[in-house]
Amino acid sequence: MRDVRLMSYGEAIREALDDALAQFPDMLLIGEGVPDPKTIFATTQGLREKHGADRVLDMPLAENGMTGICIGAALAGMRPVLVHQRIDFALLSVDQLVNNAAKWHYMFDGQQQVPLVIRVIIGRGWGQGPQHSQSLQAMFAQVPGLKVVMPTTAGDAYHFMLAAIADNNPVLFIEHRWLHHIIGEVDKQAPAAGLDGAAVMREGRDVTLAAFSHMSIEALKAATTLAEHGIDAEVLDMRCVSALDVESVAASLAKTGGKLLIADCAPEMASSGHQLLSKLVLAHGDSLKQAPRLIVYPNHPVPTSHYVANHYYPGAEQIASAVLEMLGRSELTASVIGALQSDLPKDQPDRSFVGPF
Amino acid sequence: MSPASADLKHLYYQMLRIRRAEEAIARRYAEQQMRCPTHLCIGEEAIAVGVCAHLTVQDKVFSNHRGHGHYLAKGGDLPRLLAELYGFAEGCCGGRGGSMHLTDLDAGFVASTPIVGGTVPLAAGYAWAEQMKKSGAAQGCASVAGGRMPEATNVVVIFFGDGCFEEGVMHETLNFAVLKQLPLLFICENNQYSVMTPLAERQPKRDIYKIAAAHGLHAVSGDGNRVDEVYELAQAAVANARNGLGPQFLELHTHRWPEHCGPNEDDDLGYRNPGELAAWKLRCPLLQTRQTLLDAQLSDDAEIIQMETCLALEIEQAFAWALQGTRPKIDSMRQHLYA
Ligand SMILES: Cc1ncc(C[n+]2csc(CCOP(=O)(O)OP(=O)(O)O)c2C)c(N)n1
Repeated sequence: MRDVRLMSYGEAIREALDDALAQFPDMLLIGEGVPDPKTIFATTQGLREKHGADRVLDMPLAENGMTGICIGAALAGMRPVLVHQRIDFALLSVDQLVNNAAKWHYMFDGQQQVPLVIRVIIGRGWGQGPQHSQSLQAMFAQVPGLKVVMPTTAGDAYHFMLAAIADNNPVLFIEHRWLHHIIGEVDKQAPAAGLDGAAVMREGRDVTLAAFSHMSIEALKAATTLAEHGIDAEVLDMRCVSALDVESVAASLAKTGGKLLIADCAPEMASSGHQLLSKLVLAHGDSLKQAPRLIVYPNHPVPTSHYVANHYYPGAEQIASAVLEMLGRSELTASVIGALQSDLPKDQPDRSFVGPF
Repeated sequence: MSPASADLKHLYYQMLRIRRAEEAIARRYAEQQMRCPTHLCIGEEAIAVGVCAHLTVQDKVFSNHRGHGHYLAKGGDLPRLLAELYGFAEGCCGGRGGSMHLTDLDAGFVASTPIVGGTVPLAAGYAWAEQMKKSGAAQGCASVAGGRMPEATNVVVIFFGDGCFEEGVMHETLNFAVLKQLPLLFICENNQYSVMTPLAERQPKRDIYKIAAAHGLHAVSGDGNRVDEVYELAQAAVANARNGLGPQFLELHTHRWPEHCGPNEDDDLGYRNPGELAAWKLRCPLLQTRQTLLDAQLSDDAEIIQMETCLALEIEQAFAWALQGTRPKIDSMRQHLYA
């Protein structure tokens, strides 16, 4: 009997950490607030009680130093998982991550390794503003030696977390906070995940939507509504930012007649979409039969005020209307947008999610 | 010198103003119109007020995520603070910042930002520039004999918490500030917690101010809930910094009453020791000061009631003004990316 269960993305992460702590005696789980009453949006709940305060612990407010300390522990054979509640705080770890963690194995001729996971949370909501809601995945993915993954589904969250912890390289594990609430199937017996490769979330033959993290959910929403109008979009969840799977995109384009839309939750110049596009063009330039589209955030910080921030984030509506334009079906735009419109402010993923966090 | 009677009354009024403003924010936060993370400073008012009492408009303040009290104590504009919380164009950052990013240059409040430690070196850089301007170094003049500044200079204050003291940038800044003998005040608000993590999980048992002192600057600790004590310590520290005696460090012990972020109390979560919050409430900076005022017959119930009435009106009017704010234009989002 396979153990397939429905759980939220956040619960899947908790369960993966729990299982990994049991499986890897050398694993450590450390970060500001890991054992506090809110337990990183409940993703580390109960783990200290179960696995001990030596292995599940809080830390001083010293992101740079503690990252280095975790790298040192990793060199000595531990498997630390270090958590930052916002990716913005990980900027204080950048020197250690980039100069040490990402280089170590290479620099010392493959003799040493850094099995370190950095969990970071990105995403918008409730006026997080310019310094608390950045999307820096592409910046990190530019660093050779660092693996960067952004799982979107609960199942991937579970398996990617286990794979990241088992991996002997530094892995940046990026969670969009709005994914935490989304429920999906987790099949624990599924084959172990690699930290590369895109996933087909929805099959289709009219257009390829290649998306990252929460934008994959928006692409799915758009695809579902488009399907009601007889438009069949294929949705690929890119999942792995440092190992972009252009082969899967090319294969999808062969089915969809070379029509590509890419959606990333990042400002234009920091979007992995550009990287994906350029790699695709270089490797499979002829797979594109018309100009591709890129749906990303504007290239400036997000202001706090919800009155304007609500207009900063593109979503399913922008994806759907771009698709209709690409397919020459703009006459459908008004009704599709109407169906996708929600009365929820865009700083709230659902009605259960209220401030301040 | 302990504050003169008129000063003590003024300090009380300033603390009461911050308390009532924060309480009003907490009450209205539930309406979900202030849609930004908001860190209240209820319980910690004496530090902002006792320090800022010695500052002129020319002196500058930098602050952190818990900045409302610092902003108000420095003379920041209450209606514009509230408009900022509501995300309106009239806010002190035009709605771009919310509670965690404040500025009021007219009042000498340069900025608060929420990346812990982020503003600490900025304050030092500002103080450095003030020092260079003063000595003429910035204009390329020969430096003043002996490297001492001849007369009083503007000072810069950086407010931060015990958690911030753990950041590397703090220690890098202390080093430089002492090296250059900057006119800078480090004010550590030690409330024992970083979010919900107690000091003992983050730092070994030793005094923060002594670590600072080991950098070679003048550092003392005191009761951050006694505004008279803060006032005295800050008076000496500001005078020293103004007179060219270099950076000064105050570690002031206090306690935050509400949750780390948000309008509510969270004592039920159990991260504080049982009775800890209650004990700190007995040491409320306002209660203590009021008692002193009454005991010494420097004030009476009637006068205090009048203060309350006056503040209630001011705060009510400030909210009324803020709530009439206008929504920032969507296009304004693109402005100011570059100067
Ligand atoms: C670099 C960084 N790390 C973590 C955080 C999350 N954070 C916000 S406030 C805070 C606690 C700061 O504690 P302290 O400096 O003592 O100030 P207090 O909140 O107690 O006033 C933390 C960890 C942050 N904003 N920036």
